[in-house]
Amino acid sequence: MMTELHQNGQEEVRIGYFVCHCGTNIAAMIDVAAVAEYVSTLPNVVVSKDYRYMCSEAGQDLIVQDIKEHRLNRIVVAACSPLLHERTFRTATQRGGINPFFCHMVNIREHGSWVHEDRAEATEKAKALARGAIGRVKYHKALEKRREPVTPAALVVGGGIAGIQAALTLANTGKKVYLVERDPTIGGHMAKFDKTFPTLDCAACILTPKMSEVYAHPNIVLWTYSEVEGIEGYVGNYQVRVRRKARYIDEELCVGCLDCVDECVFKVGNVDDEFNVGLSKRKPVYMPFPQAVPKLVVIDPVACTHLNGGNCQKSCVDACERAAINFDQTDTIEEIKVGAVIVATGFKTFDPKRKPLYGYGKYPNVYTALEVERLVTSCGPTEGEVVCRDGRTPKKIGIVHCVGSRDHQTNRWCSRVCCMYSMKLAHLLHEHTGAEIYNFYIDIRAPGKGYEEFYERLQEEGNHFIRGRVAEITDIPKVAEEEGMLTIRVEDSLAGFVRRIPVDMVVLSTGLEPHADSQDVRRMFNISCSREGFFLERHPKLAPVSTTTDGVYLAGCCQGPKDIPDTVAQAGAAAAEALTLLDTGYVEMEPSVSVVDPIFCSGCKTCLNLCPYHAITRDDAKGVAVINPVLCKGCGVCVAACPSGAITQNLFEDREIFEEIEEVLAYA
Amino acid sequence: MDPIEREIRYESDRDPTFADEIRAMPGCELMDRCIQCATCSGICPMSDAMELTPRRIIELTRNGFKNDVLRANTIWLCTSCYQCQVECPKKIGITDIMYALKSKAIESGAYGKKFTIPILAREFYAMVKANGRVSESRLVQRLFMKTQPTRFLGMGRLGMKLMKTGRFSNKVERMRNPEGLRRALEALPTDGRKRS
Repeated sequence: MMTELHQNGQEEVRIGYFVCHCGTNIAAMIDVAAVAEYVSTLPNVVVSKDYRYMCSEAGQDLIVQDIKEHRLNRIVVAACSPLLHERTFRTATQRGGINPFFCHMVNIREHGSWVHEDRAEATEKAKALARGAIGRVKYHKALEKRREPVTPAALVVGGGIAGIQAALTLANTGKKVYLVERDPTIGGHMAKFDKTFPTLDCAACILTPKMSEVYAHPNIVLWTYSEVEGIEGYVGNYQVRVRRKARYIDEELCVGCLDCVDECVFKVGNVDDEFNVGLSKRKPVYMPFPQAVPKLVVIDPVACTHLNGGNCQKSCVDACERAAINFDQTDTIEEIKVGAVIVATGFKTFDPKRKPLYGYGKYPNVYTALEVERLVTSCGPTEGEVVCRDGRTPKKIGIVHCVGSRDHQTNRWCSRVCCMYSMKLAHLLHEHTGAEIYNFYIDIRAPGKGYEEFYERLQEEGNHFIRGRVAEITDIPKVAEEEGMLTIRVEDSLAGFVRRIPVDMVVLSTGLEPHADSQDVRRMFNISCSREGFFLERHPKLAPVSTTTDGVYLAGCCQGPKDIPDTVAQAGAAAAEALTLLDTGYVEMEPSVSVVDPIFCSGCKTCLNLCPYHAITRDDAKGVAVINPVLCKGCGVCVAACPSGAITQNLFEDREIFEEIEEVLAYA
Repeated sequence: MDPIEREIRYESDRDPTFADEIRAMPGCELMDRCIQCATCSGICPMSDAMELTPRRIIELTRNGFKNDVLRANTIWLCTSCYQCQVECPKKIGITDIMYALKSKAIESGAYGKKFTIPILAREFYAMVKANGRVSESRLVQRLFMKTQPTRFLGMGRLGMKLMKTGRFSNKVERMRNPEGLRRALEALPTDGRKRS
């Protein structure tokens, strides 16, 4: 082989082999010194060493020095996963003065020491893998990374607090931001809350200024009542299609005076008000809430008589002085180009009807926590007066934690915010009604700044905390005191007996779960999700806002349940990651892409439909396939499929792979 | 055979004022802070003999389950070593709460008539109040007389022997000015509540 390479006019292959101890991670299960000694006997190997931490500065310098000293032109590093340190060792190779793609990594940690129990066999395997790598690396070619320019704009999907924060952070750096929100207003769940734990500052007071800032920001294009329909392209260069749903209102003309709402033929609301989670009714023409951003009305096409083909006198049209109502409006499609995407699509709350024992929907005085938020807030349907659905003012209130959380029958995970918001609601309900409050909990989880202190405050305010998961809520009395009440049956596991506690009102602290259509969103942005359906970060610790798709970042509860402080922090982090990409101005493309040799290509189109990234097109003039190196992810499907063998993939050429296999087998 | 005991509690089983009464006693203010970590029960040298551990006493007290608390032997087995109080992460006056509960139990008579510990406590207090000092031999004799009178008589010979060797004396020990102590005790509220 060596002579062959010489005959091809290439220089002599001089390989350096470096095997890492990874502390004891590798060295405890693999005799690295023995591996290094074995490798030194292989052809073309000039240097073979073991070192405690190859990824350390000193370890990298070892490579740099040996390249210079021994005129090495191929490097093999046996260490951890290339996912972790391929870049490190390629960079070190480059520092040594040779092309970084002459470096090859062998994974003897995840594929070796961590998964084996027999030291002798693990060592033999490491030797075999080393021999394979030594065999293949001599065919490596010098490759160059491609650079592609980045569109200096970002798309933020979702206008809750996460999206708002991310959009503002990016916009403040001067980058153009498109903020797309599905609902008619931004604000998300936070806009519905009364106060926020643990400081009890008013949610609206801290959120609405940010909402207005978004609306007024010169760098933010705000599209509410709109949905992302499709996205194409690649990191730094995405083309996004956004559907702007017909509002039947001219956004340029409407000033949100609400004259049309007042004059609607429906004198009272006829549809459940989404913003008040069904506790009140709204008209077909409505503004979600007085502080909505943008301050525009919207006509609900399902509820509006005229839009349903009915005969309506259209008094709203007459009422509008600015002639802003336009029943002929249709959905429009906007096409935009962005470099980065921040997905901040949020969550939905658990539907407690899935836990029939708690009687939600059966007993009128059983509420969800979100309903109670609207009930205690001064801008809610009762203007802050806590009155139950049956008209009574509650004197005893039970708050049931973990409804749809920590439950294998529904959702396994802890929703993280329920303990704290339950305590907040306990405080507010007590403040509003003077009622005696019982919290039924499994564990109190208050891990945040000032959270444990808030718990202690609630305890000292005289709230009852009863440790036990509520078994049943019933209106069937067993003793006189339970007449006309809802009785909660629970084992007080700290007191050590079962209790029956009659209350006027029950609050179900429902958990957080992914949106029903989160799978569609996931597929559209080509990101992964964890088992429960929340979007998956690239690394739970070291890349918490990145996704497996470059240029797509996560913020807020779409990634997993979290409270407002964490959401805002994560949104800032996502904005920073997006900014890093946008500000760099270019993206470097891995050179491990496939290339078509037009001499051999028959133009059969087999590869076209197989490519998962739509990277291959057919040049009809020349009758051959062409691969766009920017879109190609190097998956190798086309290489395997090509009946003519016309496609090769950099770093995975046939001779490299076959040589590696042969050498591994030769060792065995 | 005993009927099966009811193991459920209704709201009417709670004494609505009990927790407030205890909370109002000195040293008991922080009871509601308890997070039921059970350090008190773990560290208590007597908890293995207690019907209810100190942790459960706190939980039941703050929930108003007066009967369960006062009928348990726990409060009487407390030796006032204060280890629970020293180690409590929330700085709750657990031993002080035990004292408050003892005084509630004595007040309401919620303990067995022959149960020695409350009798000892009362005799001890009466003797101190009268003389300013405790005469140990006399205190022991009184305790035996009230709780196990027959056994007390049977121990007469041993008593005589001890007296002869000077190890046992019927002498009443008194402080020099018991009047001052009496006035101090009288100045205290009798129900154990904090003075306003």
